[in-house]
Formats: sequence, C-alpha cells, structure tokens
Amino acid sequence: MICYNCGCQLSEKDFCTGCGADVALYKKIMFTSNFFYNEGLEKAGVRDLSGAVTSLRQSLKFNKNNVEARNLLGLVYFEMGEVVKGLSEWVISKNLRSKKNIADDYINMIQDNPSRLETINQTIKKYNLALGYCQQDSLDLAVIQLKKVLSLNPRYIRAHQLLALLYMKAEEWEKAKKELDKCSRIDTGNTTTRRYRKEVEAMLETAENPKAGAKRKNSLADDVIMYQSGNETIIQPINNKENKSVSTVLNIGIGIAIGVAAACFLILPARVSSSNSEAQDELRSVSEQLDKKTSAIEEMEQETKRLTEENEKLKQDLDNYAGTDGTLEVVDDLLQAVSVYMENPQDADRVGQSLERIDPARASEVESEHFQSLYKILLDQAGPSIAESYYKSGMDSYQKEMYEEAIADFLKAASYDAENGDILYNLGNAYRQNGDREEAIEVYSLVVEKFPGTEKARRSRSYLNNLNAG
Amino acid sequence: MINFEEELKKFHPSLEVEDAEDAIYNQDLTDVADVLVGMMKEAKVENGALD
Repeated sequence: MICYNCGCQLSEKDFCTGCGADVALYKKIMFTSNFFYNEGLEKAGVRDLSGAVTSLRQSLKFNKNNVEARNLLGLVYFEMGEVVKGLSEWVISKNLRSKKNIADDYINMIQDNPSRLETINQTIKKYNLALGYCQQDSLDLAVIQLKKVLSLNPRYIRAHQLLALLYMKAEEWEKAKKELDKCSRIDTGNTTTRRYRKEVEAMLETAENPKAGAKRKNSLADDVIMYQSGNETIIQPINNKENKSVSTVLNIGIGIAIGVAAACFLILPARVSSSNSEAQDELRSVSEQLDKKTSAIEEMEQETKRLTEENEKLKQDLDNYAGTDGTLEVVDDLLQAVSVYMENPQDADRVGQSLERIDPARASEVESEHFQSLYKILLDQAGPSIAESYYKSGMDSYQKEMYEEAIADFLKAASYDAENGDILYNLGNAYRQNGDREEAIEVYSLVVEKFPGTEKARRSRSYLNNLNAG
Repeated sequence: MINFEEELKKFHPSLEVEDAEDAIYNQDLTDVADVLVGMMKEAKVENGALD
C-alpha cells in the first residue's frame, strides 16, 4: 500500500513515514476495498455471480485501483455473457497497471480471435433486437431471436431471463422453468431468476393440482388429529401409513403393467424386426454364394465340354495320322528295316522280311523328304543282295519244278533289282513252264527290250516266237 | 404476480463492442479514496488559509 500524498510505501503506522500525512482513514478505505474483493472472490467461487458483481463493484467504489477486483469483475461479467462490460473492466485494469496484469491475457484471448469477437457482437445485436421486438409486442419474433442468441452464447443470463419472461407471459411454465434452471446453473444468486422461479413454480403447482389448494384445508381437517401439547399444537396424520402402503403397491402394479406393455409393444417388435432383418441378410448372403458357385460350375462344365471336344479332335487327328494313312506304321517299319540292316547288312533274308512289311504304295504317300531319302538309300544298298537271295531261292524252286514258288521269288527279286536281266529271264521261264503264257510273253518282251544283243534276249526272242506261234 | 410490462422495463439494451470505447471513457471512476484525498487537500488548504 502506498501513500496517496507522496507515493511512499506505507508502514503499519497511521501516518506516512515519508511525508507525515495521516493515512489512518485511507488505510481503512483500502482494507474495506480488499474485504469486498475477498467477499466477491468467495461468491464467484460458489457461482453466486450476481453477489460477486455487487461485492466487487463495492470494492472498486472504495478503491478504483484494486486491479485484482477489477479483473475478477471483468471475468464474472464475461461468464454472465456481458462480454463488453467484461472487456471494459479489463481495459481499465490494463490502463491502471500496464505490466504483469492478467487482463492482458484476457484481452488478447478475445482480440486474437476476430471471428469470436464478431460472434459476440452479433449475439449482443440480436439480443437488443429481441428486446426491441418485446417492446413492440412482437413476442414470437423476440423468442426466435433469443433462441438464436442463446445458441451463440449459452451463458447469456439476461437473454435466458428475458426468454423465461416471454414464456411466462405465454403461460408456457415448463419452458420458462427450463430457462430459469439454466440461469441458476450459471448464476446461483441472481435475485431476478429467483423471483421468476418462485412465480413459475407456484403456477406449475397450481396447474398440476388445481383443486389441491382448495381442498387442502378440508382434507387437513379430515385426515389429521390436532391436539394441544402445552403451548404447541400437534397435528398428526391419520391412516397415513396405510394409504402410503396401498399406493406403493398400486404404483408397483402400474409400473409392472407399463413395463410389460412396453416390452410387448416396443421391445418385442423391435427384436422380431431385428431377427427378420438378420435372417434376410443371411439369406441374401447364402443366395449370393450359391449364385457364385452355380456360375463357377457352369464355367467348369463349359471348360470340360471344350476340353472333351479338343481331346476328341486330337484323337481323331492322331488316328488320321497313324491309322488311316499309316504314315507312322510305314515310318516305324522303315526304321525297323534300317535297324536290321545296320545290325547285319549281309543278312539279306531278315532285311528283306523287314522291307516286305513296308507297303510301297503307302511309302510313296509319305511326304517327308528324309523318309523318302532313307527309304531309297536302304533300297539301293540292301536291294541287290535281297534280290540275289530271292533269285537263288527262286532258282532252287525252279529246278525242283515248283514254278509257283519260283515265280513268287523271282517277282520279289525283280522288285528289288529291276535291272537284273537274269531275274527277268528266269521269271519268264517260270511263267512259261507254269503255263502262264500271257505273263511269259510280257516278261520275255521286256528282256528283249531292256537287254538287246545278249544271249538272254536271243533266247527270249526264240521263246516269244514259239509262244506266239503256239 | 409478476407484471410483464414492468419486468420488461428492467431489461436494457446491451452495450455493443463498438460502444465499448465510449463506455470506458464515460465511466465514473471516482472512488471513496479520491473523495477522502480531496477532502484532506481541501482541509489542508483551509488550514493553510487560516494560518
């Protein structure tokens, strides 16, 4: 505490040690200001905001420089929704003490958020507008505006109170009570709120039990025993206990009935509906799975059908390839003949037997160049020795006069070595001896033609003449 | 019974943010301490005049 005269720090003495001024009264004033500040702080702590405002204003009336009291007053105003009043107190506080002042933080908190400041201003304007509507008797519009105000700033006590007043005017007591409850939660000690609340509660009680007031006195006389005990009048209720127990049982019964009804009409249908919904979901899921599987089966069936057809076609191709034209068989026979020849080229019998299996007609149909080449080489190399072998065999049969066998052997020998004149000449002889005149003429003609000037040709011509003459 | 018209008169328009400056300047900040100091000074002046 400093001296009002010279600004020195004051001691516990009743005068200033710096200038000697009498500060006894001044100190009392300062103490009183502090007392009201403490009171205001205590009231603010229990949310008696109206009481806190009164105390803090008192404190400032005694000492305008009580910065703590001013800051707290600003905070309480802010909490009540009176933002401009709060701001004003903080600005004054900041002017009184420019440094180490919490008012700085409060001001910055609002100024740093322009949108919030704008919202606050809009709230105040709407409230003033609503008040204007009230004065113009446009109460419905006022209610709408006040609802908007409270949606923007739910702590605006005056707006709650005005709205409650409007509801009271419209005799909407429940709504008024709700608004006043909200007021009470923000500010517990507001006298206006309490006054309205008292009125509303009285009206609600009357509305709930209109005859209660009238009957109360009569029923009191019937239901109670009154007697004097010394200076006191004792009023004792009759049958109170019995009525209470009966009503309790009745209430329990009604409660159970309501519970059962709720279960039947609300819970049960909801459960049934829920179960149906679950079952439908499950059915849908199963149907989807079934569709997927059916689709997969159809795809697999089509694939199987396609593969079967492909298999049939391949089989057919293979049959055509190996069975019908016998290409594979011919190739196989050729390979076997080659194999036999390479094992023992001198074994003309076996090589000949292998080559006999090859049908020359089919061999000529094979388009493979390598096959034809191999077949020709084998015939060229093995052919003469095979022909020789058949020729000898034929000559043996001929000498034994077994002309049929001899003809067969000579034909085979000729097929392997068509340029051998001896084979052809003896073939002609065998035909002639066997009585096959036509074949004999044909063969002798061939010998004469292919081997002119030889002994075989001369003899063949002689036989030809005889045959033609005979 | 609450009279609506009378109650309504107790509600006053709120100060808007634009009006805050005027409100601050016009606020009467005189406190009891000012009154006391003024009285003390006056008393001192009077005493000085008498002396």
